[in-house]
Amino acid sequence: MRRFKVFILIALCLCIPVLVFAAQTGQTKKANSIDELAKMYDVSSCKMCHEKIYNEWAKSLHARSIYGPETSGRTAATLKTTIINGLMEWPHSGVKKPEDVKVEHLMICAKCHLPQLQDATDKVAQEIVKNVYAFTAGDEKAAEQLEKLNINCLVCHNRNAIIHKWADGYPEKDAVYGSKDGAHPAPMYSKLKKGPVQKEAILCGQCHGLGPNFELENPSQCATLYGTYLWAYTAEGGQEKCQDCHMHKSGLGHNMQSYRSKEMQKLAVDFHVEVLPHWWRDGTKMIPQATVKVEIKNRAGHAIPDG
Amino acid sequence: MTGKTKDGKEIFKQSKIYMPIPQQNGRGDRMGRGPYEKSGMLRDTSIPPHKTVHETFDIAFPMEDVKRGDKIEKVIKSGEMTVDVELWYLPYGNKQQDPFLWHKYTKDVKVTTTGK
Repeated sequence: MRRFKVFILIALCLCIPVLVFAAQTGQTKKANSIDELAKMYDVSSCKMCHEKIYNEWAKSLHARSIYGPETSGRTAATLKTTIINGLMEWPHSGVKKPEDVKVEHLMICAKCHLPQLQDATDKVAQEIVKNVYAFTAGDEKAAEQLEKLNINCLVCHNRNAIIHKWADGYPEKDAVYGSKDGAHPAPMYSKLKKGPVQKEAILCGQCHGLGPNFELENPSQCATLYGTYLWAYTAEGGQEKCQDCHMHKSGLGHNMQSYRSKEMQKLAVDFHVEVLPHWWRDGTKMIPQATVKVEIKNRAGHAIPDG
Repeated sequence: MTGKTKDGKEIFKQSKIYMPIPQQNGRGDRMGRGPYEKSGMLRDTSIPPHKTVHETFDIAFPMEDVKRGDKIEKVIKSGEMTVDVELWYLPYGNKQQDPFLWHKYTKDVKVTTTGK
């Protein structure tokens, strides 16, 4: 009996730090299905008070971050390529067939396309894989299922709103991080907190990245945008933030766009051409020609294009 | 960019590509294609922030051989040309998938056809 009590005590001692950590980090039960994960990150109630913002966001690629552009579903297709040409080809990935794919494997893409996948079990990873394969085989319901997962209000205004967690604390489960402190009249998110980086480029830089993601077992590199922003824009004295152009100057608000949007195209690049027709003389030889001078100015705070 | 004569015949075509050229797994001389295999940069021809790139193209008007007496002379075939310059954003590297035309410039130009 005494041995049993000691065992219980040791078990408790081991559990308490885990429970405290879980409480600090706001960890909850993990989602076991796409529907459960979508429910955990359901933002339909945000629309009740923030309809304009919600509708703007719904037009953005953030709203279909796993599926990709409405017309092509290119992101989902690239997930499949990653499984076939990457995971299944790499001898040490542990993936021999699509059924072997787990959350840790999908994080190569999900780090940015669906960071909340970390709040899900491998069952969800498997469901995503099945739907990706079904979508590429023409199953529209699979596409709809994938479109339930996205970068939404709760990702930027809660889950990923705090980057320096040791300095600023872990995101509170019942808080929405925005521009000021106060009350937030929503049952599940009753607090409004001033987000330390909500207006800063680093908020976007979490995903629109620096290059290889070295924290991954097998680094991937999708975006290098924040790298060029830091080292080629701010390094030259640039002071604007991503939000200044992509939300405010463009007038697009939460419909944050890039190369697909006419507004962003106009803001991003100045294009000027001059043509000079003339005869060029080389000794006795005369050559009629047109000299075309093209000037392209990148007005953005990052390189164009990204990649 | 292209140069075309009045009858629509293309007499000049050239393109420039601006993009980061990622390195496969951060080693060697191969470019990586998918994000899962990119981990470095072989070269970068993308347009840096707040920088201007300048390109110059010289397009020759078409000439033809004409016999004048005993001599064969090169003379201008057409003194008119249409110059088209287009700036495309091709997220998938081709014009078949989601191409975006950002800017387009067209101008009809002429050179004199008489004089010495």
